[in-house]
Amino acid sequence: MGRYTWDFSVIAANWDPLMAGLAVTLQLTAICAVIGLVGGFLVCQMVMSRIAPLRWVAIGFIEVFRCTPALVQIIWIFYCVPFFFGVFYDPFYMAILALGMNITAFNAEAYRAAIQAIPSSHYDACTALGLSPLKKTLFVILPQAVLMAIPVLLTNTIGLLQQTSLVAIVAIADLMYEGKTLATQTYRPIEIYTTVAFIYFALSVPLSQVVGLCERRLRSRLA
Amino acid sequence: MDITAALGFLWDYRLALSVGLGNTLHFTALGLVFGLTIGFVVSVVRQAGHPVLKVIVTTYVEIFRGTPVLIQLFWFFFCLPAILGVELGNVFSTVLTLSLYMGAISSESFRAALKAIGAEQRDACVALGLPARVSVPYVILPQTVLRAVPTLLSNCVTLFKESALVSAVGMADLMYQGQMIADATARPIEILTATALIYFVIAFSVTRIVSFYERGYLARMRL
Repeated sequence: MGRYTWDFSVIAANWDPLMAGLAVTLQLTAICAVIGLVGGFLVCQMVMSRIAPLRWVAIGFIEVFRCTPALVQIIWIFYCVPFFFGVFYDPFYMAILALGMNITAFNAEAYRAAIQAIPSSHYDACTALGLSPLKKTLFVILPQAVLMAIPVLLTNTIGLLQQTSLVAIVAIADLMYEGKTLATQTYRPIEIYTTVAFIYFALSVPLSQVVGLCERRLRSRLA
Repeated sequence: MDITAALGFLWDYRLALSVGLGNTLHFTALGLVFGLTIGFVVSVVRQAGHPVLKVIVTTYVEIFRGTPVLIQLFWFFFCLPAILGVELGNVFSTVLTLSLYMGAISSESFRAALKAIGAEQRDACVALGLPARVSVPYVILPQTVLRAVPTLLSNCVTLFKESALVSAVGMADLMYQGQMIADATARPIEILTATALIYFVIAFSVTRIVSFYERGYLARMRL
C-alpha cells in the first residue's frame, strides 16, 4: 500500500477555473435539454406521420444517433460539418449541435413510447368531437405524452449532463476539460478528478431523486 | 468526393481498423461478462440483503450512474494506481471501469425484472422450503434473465458505445485507431465516417435483435 498524502488546498486555489468550467457544462446541458425536449417531440411526430418520406428521414435520424457513440458523433461533426457545408462555427455551437441532435434522438423514442401508451379511445373521442389534427396533437396528445414521458425524459437529461463531459476531448473548456488541465498543471490528479466526479455526482443525484418521485406519482395516478 | 478513391484509401487501412475493432470488442466482451455478474449480484443484494450491504451497493450504483464514464476512466487510470501505490496496467484499468459501469447500469435492469416476479412465487419457494441457494438459481434467476434480456441487450449496446471513451486514455480501440489515421493522413472525412459506420452496423444489428425478441418471444410468453 503506497502512502498518499491528500492535499485539497489545490481545489481551493483553483476554484475559479473549476466554476467557470461548471458554468459551461451547465449552459451546454440546459441549451441541449431544451433542444431535446422540443426537437424530440417534433421528430417523434415525424416518425408517426402518415407521409412515408418524413417517417424514413426521422427513423434514419434516430437510428444513426442512437446506434453510434456520442464521442464519434461529436468528433465527426467537428471534422466533417465544416468540410461538407463549408461553414465554421464556434466550437461551442458545434458541441450544441452534436449533443442537441443526440438527445433529440433519444427523447423522440421516449415520446413515442409515451404516445403509444395513450389509449386509442382518446383518438376516437377526438374524431367524434371533430377536433382538427393540430388541436388533437397540441391539446390531447402532447400533454399526456409529456406527462407519461417525464421520467424517461429526465433520465435522458441526466445522461446528457454526463455526455457533455465528452466535449472536453475537443477542447471546449467545460468542467471535465478544466479538471484535466488542472490535473496536469498541478500534478494533483487525485484531488482534482475526485472533486470533478463529486460535482457531477452532486448534480445528478437530485435529478435522479426527482425521477424516482415522478415515477411513483405517475404510478399512483395511473393505478 | 471520389467514392472509389475513398474506398481504396480505407482499404489501405483495413488492418489498423480491424485491430481497433478487435480491441473494442475485446474490452466490451470482458466488460459485459464481469459487469453482468456484478449487476445480478448487486440487484439481488438490493432486493434482499443485509441493510449495511444494501447501503453500500446502492451507493456504488448511484456513483457509477451519476458520474460521466469519462471521469470514471480518468479516475481509475490516474488516481487509483497512485492511491494504492501499485501499477494496475492499462487493460486492467479499462476493463475494471467498464465492468463497474456495466454492473451499475445492468443492476437496474435486473432489479426491474426482479420486481416483476410475483410475490406468490417467493411465497411458493418459502412454502416448499427452498433455501435461497436453491430458489435463487432455479426459480428467480431464469425468470429474471428472460424478462431482463431486452433491457440488458440495450445495456450491452450502451457499453459498446461507451467503450469508445477508452480512446481518450490512449487505449487503441476502434475510435482511437480512427482518430490516429485521420490525424496522420489528414483525411478525417473518410476514416471517421467509416468508423462511425462500423459502430452503427454493430449497434444497429443488436437493437434489431432486441425488438425482434421483444415482439416475438416475449409477446408469445406473455411476460
